[in-house]
Amino acid sequence: MGKIQISASKAFALHFLCAAALAAGYCLARDVYALNLISDPAQTLRLLLVFEGPVVIGIYSWIRRDPDSCSYLKAVGRGLLGLPIGASINAFGAIVLGAPIGIKYLTKTIYWSFLMSLFTFVPASCVFGKSRMDWQRILAHSKPMEGVDYMISLPAHGAVIGAWLGAWPMPLDWERPWQEWPICVTYGSVAGYLVGMLASSVFILILRRQDPVKVD
Amino acid sequence: MPSPLSCARLTAWTVAAVALQILGLSLFVFGFFPVKPTLRGFSGLESYRMPTCNSTSDGKETELPPDQLRSLYKEISKIPPSYDRLILMVIDGLPAEFVLGRDEKPPNKAMIEAMPYMQSLLTNGKATAYHAKAAPPTVTMPRLKAMVSGAIGGFLDVALNFNTQAFLDDNLLDQFYRIGWKLVMLGDETWIKLFPKLFTRQDGVSSFYVKDTVGVDLNVSRHLDVELAAEDWDFLILHYLGLDHVGHIGGRQSILMAPKLKEMDEVIKMIHVRNILYQGNATSRTLLVVVSDHGMTDGGNHGGSSYEETDSLLLFIGLGSKGSNYSPYAHKAFQVDIAPTLALLFGVPIPKNNIGVMLPKMLDSLTDEQKLRALELNAWQLLRLLQAHLPGLLCGDLRCGGDGQSLQINGSTGRIKEKFCHLFSKATAAHNMWQLRQGSSFTSNTDDLRIAVESYYDFLRSASEWLSRRATDKPINLLLSGIAIMLISCFLLLILLFFLLREVYFTQTESCSQLKESRRSCHIDEIFVFIGIIIHVLSFTSSSMVEEEQYTWHFLTSTLHLLFLFSAIQLLFKRQASKRREEELTPHQSCISVASSIPMINNENYKISSVLVVLFCARVLRGWHQGGVNWVHLPDVSKLLVQAGSFIIKVLHIISLLIVMMPSLFALSIVRLKRGFVFLVSLSHFVSGFLVLLHIIENQSDNMVPINQSAASIAQIFYINIGSTVMLTVLASPWVVPIPCQETHMMTQTSLNCHSTNMRSDSLLLGFQDCTYMIGTTYVASWCLLQLLLQQPINAIPVLLIFLQLLACMIYFSIDGSHHKQCVEVASIYFLGMAGHFGLGNSNSLATIDVAGAFIGISSYSTVLSGILMFMITYASPMLSFLSMVMYISMKNTRYFSLPNKSKWSCMLEMKLAFPCLLPLVLNSVVLTAFTIILLLMRNHLFVWSVFSPKYLYICAATVCVYIGVFIIATTGFYTSIVLSFRTKRLKPEVHNFLFKFQ
Repeated sequence: MGKIQISASKAFALHFLCAAALAAGYCLARDVYALNLISDPAQTLRLLLVFEGPVVIGIYSWIRRDPDSCSYLKAVGRGLLGLPIGASINAFGAIVLGAPIGIKYLTKTIYWSFLMSLFTFVPASCVFGKSRMDWQRILAHSKPMEGVDYMISLPAHGAVIGAWLGAWPMPLDWERPWQEWPICVTYGSVAGYLVGMLASSVFILILRRQDPVKVD
Repeated sequence: MPSPLSCARLTAWTVAAVALQILGLSLFVFGFFPVKPTLRGFSGLESYRMPTCNSTSDGKETELPPDQLRSLYKEISKIPPSYDRLILMVIDGLPAEFVLGRDEKPPNKAMIEAMPYMQSLLTNGKATAYHAKAAPPTVTMPRLKAMVSGAIGGFLDVALNFNTQAFLDDNLLDQFYRIGWKLVMLGDETWIKLFPKLFTRQDGVSSFYVKDTVGVDLNVSRHLDVELAAEDWDFLILHYLGLDHVGHIGGRQSILMAPKLKEMDEVIKMIHVRNILYQGNATSRTLLVVVSDHGMTDGGNHGGSSYEETDSLLLFIGLGSKGSNYSPYAHKAFQVDIAPTLALLFGVPIPKNNIGVMLPKMLDSLTDEQKLRALELNAWQLLRLLQAHLPGLLCGDLRCGGDGQSLQINGSTGRIKEKFCHLFSKATAAHNMWQLRQGSSFTSNTDDLRIAVESYYDFLRSASEWLSRRATDKPINLLLSGIAIMLISCFLLLILLFFLLREVYFTQTESCSQLKESRRSCHIDEIFVFIGIIIHVLSFTSSSMVEEEQYTWHFLTSTLHLLFLFSAIQLLFKRQASKRREEELTPHQSCISVASSIPMINNENYKISSVLVVLFCARVLRGWHQGGVNWVHLPDVSKLLVQAGSFIIKVLHIISLLIVMMPSLFALSIVRLKRGFVFLVSLSHFVSGFLVLLHIIENQSDNMVPINQSAASIAQIFYINIGSTVMLTVLASPWVVPIPCQETHMMTQTSLNCHSTNMRSDSLLLGFQDCTYMIGTTYVASWCLLQLLLQQPINAIPVLLIFLQLLACMIYFSIDGSHHKQCVEVASIYFLGMAGHFGLGNSNSLATIDVAGAFIGISSYSTVLSGILMFMITYASPMLSFLSMVMYISMKNTRYFSLPNKSKWSCMLEMKLAFPCLLPLVLNSVVLTAFTIILLLMRNHLFVWSVFSPKYLYICAATVCVYIGVFIIATTGFYTSIVLSFRTKRLKPEVHNFLFKFQ
């Protein structure tokens, strides 16, 4: 274990790439296609997905846990496989918590859950693959966390908590278009994701300071 | 408090806290919803007689035909009606400032230009105008009621007749209707809701579409040509909504405001020109009254009590020309003064609950004698109302006016009585004096007249002021003291909970270090429960979150159970990890590693699947009723089923009955009590289920017959059967349960997870568990059957779903004991109950209470019985969750409570009952106290009467429900343990001794 130790600057750069991809997707949607989340959530979400997906899978496959036994392409494949699995988990969570079920909302829910999967499940599947030990560690906190763990779990937790908080304005009677599913939830999850990435960079920085011996 | 809480001390403190809470709550409720005595019935002939000491209205109110009544009124009132026809034009939301200016200054130029005709009427003295102060809440319906009845209503009388919105108190419209007037109404349909049967012709406009500023008024004005020409009506009501809508959209300065005022001016001009100036025949005189129900703030809102909102207009047009020697902008009045003024001008009795006073300017058209007579009638009416508030007023001594100072009167009511008595007798004396002088000499003595009028007004004004203060004033001291007491009680409960938590979990973590780790990882659900309660309380500050509370509860409950799912998965991984570690390392001794074997992993799968059941049921429940206010129109399952027809609903009803029966019979069959007893109870359950089935089928066959006699008798037999079953089970089962001292090897499903090592010491506990399991199952099964009978057929599946949720939840908690803290588990059951409350289609508006179900099986009308049934229907789900807590305490392994050195049964009671009883009280108390404070802060909010106050009534009812539920849990546990310990002591003294030594 601990074959890849990540430096703070590298973690920060990787996180920055992820955020930049999101921003690029959003800007492209707004400026080129004249779309935004409110006017056409499905299309915008798809565009974000197209930008964010390759970046996330690429980055996290690169910092995979077992670079010796697993080629880069294999890690990418794991990420691609993890995408629908994570999407279905996220969709399950959303529907249980009250996301509307219906043909009208179907595409939006699907795109949203794919985006959430990119935030939460795909990084872990790229990095860990089917290593049971690592999954146990990240889920059950049975062992101390490492740098990459922070990079995976903090943005994921941030996205989930952000999405959860983002759902609260929905029942209010403000009659704003963004109160529709999944617009404000998406805003919340993106905000939470960004906060989580910031937090993970800070945490890794602190980890380095405390533990300078481990630097390769 | 010392740290070891004994059972008795805990109970005593809890009871004290609850008593404090009840005290505080009742103080607050009486302060916030003042129950003022109102007089029932309608004013009749007695209003023309002096009120006497014991003014019991003689019930021989003869039903005269309208024409006769009209002439009789004219005769005995001695005031001939000044007018024959009345046009009441209500301009919704028009602030008087627009017409009359503020502080005796004329309105600004733009306003004068917008309403040229009205201004010309005012300056020529053809109209008399008032700033009529409206009482809060400044929303349309209460204001209309105040105008026509002269009374300021409380909230409770709105809330208590939730069945009908019709106005049942004495009012002008009914009085006019009684003397045979024909009434025509055009405009806001609120009038039609208030008076559904009175109008000869009506055209209602819904005020729902606030964005529509034109259509609502066109719909009124298009009738005007015809109606003004028509001769058949006596009272025409025009209610223009447009101006209010303009305000709601753009505020006072809206660009639409001037055109709208212009439009209103045109209408007034048209009416004035056609019906007042050029009247067809001289005998029919028409009075036009232009009023607004309330004002508006700068932003165009209303509802509160600021000057801008309460400043409404009152304008009389058609009084005949008078000298314009006074400023037209000066008069102030109250909105309630409209009712007595119109009643006296048109010769009908003043409505009984009126607190208004005849407007002085309107007296000018009367002769001196009529003036005093009118004031006298007004005074008599107010005196009657005062007598209702102050019993014994005017009794015996009419001397009190003369030398009342000598009387020894105690208390402030005595002084008030004395004051009114004094004022009234002074006025009567002046009136008599004037009459005497008038009779003896023909010289007109204006001095006497002036004195008489002034003394009447002294009495009227002070009485009116006192009465209106009684109606609207919220005694802030009472409210604050109520809140303070509730806060104390809430803190007391929280402290108790804190001590209990500390005691239980500190001993636990010391004894078992491994548990500490599992506790830390499960910490997230405790934090979530805490955060969820805080978010829930905070959401009450938003009116739409109160309206849509079902989303909050569903969201919180589902999130909590998702966290359970997550922690179950975590545990699964952790178990695997620790197993692997054990294989790798040397096996070491710890609590978890002993327990973690292969079957435990199997248990995890059970756990996960039972949480999945809970989540699935919750999602279906959420989709069943589209509750709340704003999204009611969206499709949901219940609407689909209603469309699909009653047959399918009936089938689903029967299916859910069968599915409810199966688990409950199964649960009963595994009880380890005497076979015969269990068989008896099961049989009786079966009979109950069969009766419900019969009732369903009976209802199906004759749906048309409103009162179905056989269905009612089936329901009655069902009530008797279910009641006797529950009583029998509760009373008898502690006596028939075997006390398992020797036969420790016989383990039942109820105590799946008992560790066999310390089995012996827990014979009493085992008996208790068996017994409460039996009682709890009976409670839950009976309550579900009862709900399947009472609820609407469409709610059968939701009842089943809640039942399944609770069962799954209990299975989840009982498998492999102490993985969540007990308080989290109790909170989750409580959450399920609250989410289910909304899942059954309830909401925070009084409209969703199922009134129809409250009459099932009741052969004669009884308010108490149907009230109880209504409560049972509305609080079906929270009550079910409390009843299932009895079952929960039997299934829950609470052995980790290690409380030595205590008397046995009280110790057991504490460890079993402390959390299930205390935690619901704490949760409810937090919500109750927080919402009370919010209600006090929001008392001037626009929606205080429509949103916050109904919610407060619901919270009060929920508090009652919590009290009942906790009482049931506590008494069941208490009774069972007392009987068991009594039996252990008596039957097995030697074993008892052994056990005593052991403990």
